[in-house]
Amino acid sequence: MTFEIEVNARSRIVSIERTGPGQYRVTVDGQTRALDAARIGSHGLSLILGGGSNVSREVHVAPSTVRGELLVLLEGRTVTATVNARRTGRAAADAGSHGPGEQAVVAPMPGRVVRVLVSEGDEVAARQPVVVVEAMKMENELSSPKAGRVKDVAVTPGMSVEAGRVLIVIE
Amino acid sequence: MKILIANRGEIAVRIIRACREMGFATVAVYSDCDRDARHVREADQALHIGPSEAVKSYLRIDAILDAARLSGADAIHPGYGFLAENAAFAAACHDAGVTFIGPTPAAIALMGSKTAARATAIKAGVPVVPGTETPLDDTVSDSDLVGIAESVGYPLVVKAVAGGGGKGMRTVEAAASLAAAVRTARSEAGSAFGDSAVYLERQIVRPRHIEIQLLGDQHGTIIPFVERECSIQRRHQKVVEESPSTVVSPDLRRRMAAAAVSVARTAAYSSAGTIEFLLDPDGAFYFLEMNTRLQVEHPVTEMVTSIDLVQWQLRIALGEKLDIDPERALTPQGHAIECRIYAEDPDQGFLPSPGLIRGLRPASGPGVRDDGGVDAGYTVPVFYDSMIAKLVAWGATRTDAVARMARALREYQVLGIRTTIPFFLWLMRQPDYGAGRYDTMYLDRLLASRAGESFNELSDEDEVLAAIAVALDATLRAGGGPGSARPGGGLPSWKQAGRREALRG
Repeated sequence: MTFEIEVNARSRIVSIERTGPGQYRVTVDGQTRALDAARIGSHGLSLILGGGSNVSREVHVAPSTVRGELLVLLEGRTVTATVNARRTGRAAADAGSHGPGEQAVVAPMPGRVVRVLVSEGDEVAARQPVVVVEAMKMENELSSPKAGRVKDVAVTPGMSVEAGRVLIVIE
Repeated sequence: MKILIANRGEIAVRIIRACREMGFATVAVYSDCDRDARHVREADQALHIGPSEAVKSYLRIDAILDAARLSGADAIHPGYGFLAENAAFAAACHDAGVTFIGPTPAAIALMGSKTAARATAIKAGVPVVPGTETPLDDTVSDSDLVGIAESVGYPLVVKAVAGGGGKGMRTVEAAASLAAAVRTARSEAGSAFGDSAVYLERQIVRPRHIEIQLLGDQHGTIIPFVERECSIQRRHQKVVEESPSTVVSPDLRRRMAAAAVSVARTAAYSSAGTIEFLLDPDGAFYFLEMNTRLQVEHPVTEMVTSIDLVQWQLRIALGEKLDIDPERALTPQGHAIECRIYAEDPDQGFLPSPGLIRGLRPASGPGVRDDGGVDAGYTVPVFYDSMIAKLVAWGATRTDAVARMARALREYQVLGIRTTIPFFLWLMRQPDYGAGRYDTMYLDRLLASRAGESFNELSDEDEVLAAIAVALDATLRAGGGPGSARPGGGLPSWKQAGRREALRG
């Protein structure tokens, strides 16, 4: 089977062919290697590289809270991965795009809007705080992604917001 | 003896462990979203106390006292946070005939007000950081604030009178940003503590945050412990703590311990408590505040003294006399470090990353202690602090402890959500951290210098392996199925994997 796998925002073509019990021939971006793999629990994989290297790695692949996104754990680091995603940018960036030249400030986590620091029509600088969202008892200042004018303020103080909710649109 | 734990998460589990070791029955309380939380299952009994929002459950004195009455609990341990430093709660427990495991309501009220606490320290002959002696409420005008701030001196820190844990706290470099900082601090303090009053304090330049743990019994004995070093802070929140400090000599330790005892005695303090100091680069120390409760970071003290602070809290509440050798409490055996593992994404400015934990394997092995509060299958809720575990590593030397922490962090597996583990792995490699060269602003400076660089960079080789693992995982889920299984190993189907796990028991 062949997949387009994106890890850490880099895309690779990965082909997998089973050659025996637990034995695979894997081709990544044209380079082929032999691999011994064993399933560990529901999300884990033990990989032993062939070709004499015998490098051993434990890798875990589990769905994240974002639909279609996987989190890969490898030696204490966690990276984002998607399967068969065209390189059209990340899901979050898509949710934040509106019209040409417009960008949205999006709630990165569920929370409550504490303060809105700008009004429609205000000129804002890049990285200027525009809204404060409280989540897990901390107030988080969210900033404008770019310099521009506030086109839309979609929330009011006190409002509960879900992750991914558009709060403010900058044009 | 039956103890109700008026808390949740790792600290509720920690207290239940101490109770079980002492043969006491335990009662958990829980909100809507915590029905499947670990502390509920660890306890002997569990009572629902309300909706998920803390103000409707864990902060409701009446609901918790009802739970105590219904379960027949003899005593209540408040943990930290929630009602732990609420004098009205401690008083209500006494009125209801239930022992409050902690100091007296009077001591909580006295040391809970930051301004009254400063006055107590001054009375005890302990130096305090220069600052305002009375709370500044909403009626103080912006122009008056500027005048008051001039008398304190810049840079200064705006702090919540009822504060703690870095909430309601802002640093101000100059008059121009004073009003905004006071506004934010008041707003945060109001929502976190129900009291928006703030005060101003001069900022000590490049200080260390050093604190002295105490135990006091009900018979007048107060024992101070070896210091904890808590200078690794992000935006005033402790993220790594250790004991002992690399900059505290045995002589300084004795002087700080004596000052801490003096403050506690002046406050007529009993139970576990902590006196926090700022230590400047010249070795002068200033009283900062007292926490009238068990601290998050108490395990590092336990690891270097082998004294169980939670068990002693329970014994003291029962009226027992402290019979700890004071030299043992003040003499560290080896070195311990704690990392607070949060459900936060360090690559997104440490934004909360709540959600379903799909897999969890804490670190273990020599010298490692995991004070966890969650299991696989639990959804980290959005309603509370996002700490999911405290990982503690002990070593004969600090160098050993740092290496052991790095080893343990690499072992720690949390699947499905992002955590601060990659950040801690990076921190353990920083030369200045390794050398013990830091102050309370060190981490904020270091993070600012990274300019958005990821904590999760992989080598090209590991990135390829990650891509292969994702493709293999997709192959198997698509029905690589039984056909790909090999006898006694390889890649069995899900069902077979489950059976093998079950057989291994």
